[in-house]
Amino acid sequence: MKKTIPRPPRAKASRLQRANYKWIYLFLLPTVIVFAMFYVIPIAQVFVTSFTQWDGFNAPVFNGVRNYVNLFSSHSFLTALRNLFLWGLVAVFLHVGFGTLVAFVLFQRPRGWKFTRAVFMIPNVISAAAWAMIYRFIFNDDFGVLNGIIRIFDPDFSVQWFYKSPWAFWAVTFTWLFYAVIVTLIVLGDLLNIPTELTEAARIDGATGWQLIRCIQLPLCRGAIGTSIICSLTARISMYEQIALTTAGGPDYQTMSLPILLVNAITDYRYGYANAVGVLMFLIGLAVLYVVNRAFRMDESDY
Amino acid sequence: MNTVKKTATRALMYFVELFVIVLSVFPILWVMMSAFKTNGEILSDPLALPTAFSMDAFVYLFETYNFPLYFWNSLLAAGVSTLVSLLFYAMGAYVIAKFQFPGRQLLFILFTITLLVPGHSKTQPIFSLVTGLGLYDSIWGVTLVYLSAGMAMSIFVLKAGFMAIPKSLDEAAAIEGAGFVRTFWSINLPLAKSALATAGILMFLGNWNEYYFASLLTMSDSQRTLPIALAFFTSEFSYNYTNLFAALTVVILPGIILYAFAQEQVQASVAATGIKG
Repeated sequence: MKKTIPRPPRAKASRLQRANYKWIYLFLLPTVIVFAMFYVIPIAQVFVTSFTQWDGFNAPVFNGVRNYVNLFSSHSFLTALRNLFLWGLVAVFLHVGFGTLVAFVLFQRPRGWKFTRAVFMIPNVISAAAWAMIYRFIFNDDFGVLNGIIRIFDPDFSVQWFYKSPWAFWAVTFTWLFYAVIVTLIVLGDLLNIPTELTEAARIDGATGWQLIRCIQLPLCRGAIGTSIICSLTARISMYEQIALTTAGGPDYQTMSLPILLVNAITDYRYGYANAVGVLMFLIGLAVLYVVNRAFRMDESDY
Repeated sequence: MNTVKKTATRALMYFVELFVIVLSVFPILWVMMSAFKTNGEILSDPLALPTAFSMDAFVYLFETYNFPLYFWNSLLAAGVSTLVSLLFYAMGAYVIAKFQFPGRQLLFILFTITLLVPGHSKTQPIFSLVTGLGLYDSIWGVTLVYLSAGMAMSIFVLKAGFMAIPKSLDEAAAIEGAGFVRTFWSINLPLAKSALATAGILMFLGNWNEYYFASLLTMSDSQRTLPIALAFFTSEFSYNYTNLFAALTVVILPGIILYAFAQEQVQASVAATGIKG
């Protein structure tokens, strides 16, 4: 005979809470208004008008998938996609890799680790615009630090890093490549959360330093690494200042990014086209989240 | 053998530390140092120390341009938007954390998923919205846009903060006769201090440094924030490098000073957002 297990009664709103409904929805109202005003309506608008030709003054005219067809047959867009792909690879393997390396180094608490951690944050508390400008000067041919150092050895050396192919792409990459403090802090946070019993147990079983890192610590901070990858890929999708204030997408689109394309389209009053770029940015963002979440099994708990 | 390995690891660790420090500090020191050099000195030897300590460039900048105004605009846009949105999101996060009501889970998911929307993709609608409200070329238009910036992160951090406050306190407050608003304002809000600080710091930093929307939504000198003023100077002083470096110094210094005071808190805030992973 099957025994019926009495189910726990479904948590029902108590009378007190029901009396509070008025207040509950009132408290939610400001957030809902901001959400509608800056997310729901704009996103809907972007999606709808991406299928139109629109100059912002006259009414939008429906033109099917023309904007998308134009995008995928334009040299600038395809280069921007290729750049995003390359920058994405650099971000996942080198940027997040470097940030993780620093986190593991600081976790060993070498002398000066707190100072290093504090100082590493400085480039991130400065406006990205100012940082781009600083790098524009560092890579300047006439008075930049880099060429100044190279000229000590080779007095006739001269390269305009931000304006010459193929250097421009790598010069832009360098402005963010090693500045991975967010990655470091997130990963370090996860490392500090590993229960000490776990590490102790592994040590008693004879695990050496490298084994400890490879088999215990690295797998246990995969959530943090996954989060870092999402953050840094999202930053790549919306990379603007580092490019707009250095190369402006040149030379010959070699440093083009989607936001630069989008802004260029807006200044040309091609709003439909701009919004088609917006839709694609949005979709790429969603795809990144889905893939990384899957790859790092981030919704599973370890402890 | 073992000691060799150990020394090598140690050396590697110090190398990484040194690399990080040089990469983070050197560019800034170089910019500040160059602000005290003459144009000729900058061009002839970019690495040399300044020969005379001259404040001329700074004096010129402050006499010619309204730096206190740019600073004030930045402070206004970042400060007001952070305070207002912190209150909005605290209210929202509070009811999501503490009450059962239809649509609770859905709203939470919708609010936090906004993290994934690249801000730039909404450029045109937001531009049209601000223009439609008659706030184009006004610091208030920029402030309005900043309200939406930290939504996902704030709701997430604040919800966790409110959930950590025991419900028994609310019940005790109810018995004492405190109403809904009072329970929120005098009991829960003060106890969620560290979550509020985390969300507030991250939003303020982001808005203080924001460049993209500020550059699209403002035009005139009187509405410029510090990052926008900086971009304007590069075209203005294209051949006066001393002035350029001085302007850069003036723009980045307030942020660094602010950070120096709230250093631990800023780092903890960044680390706290990672826990959601």
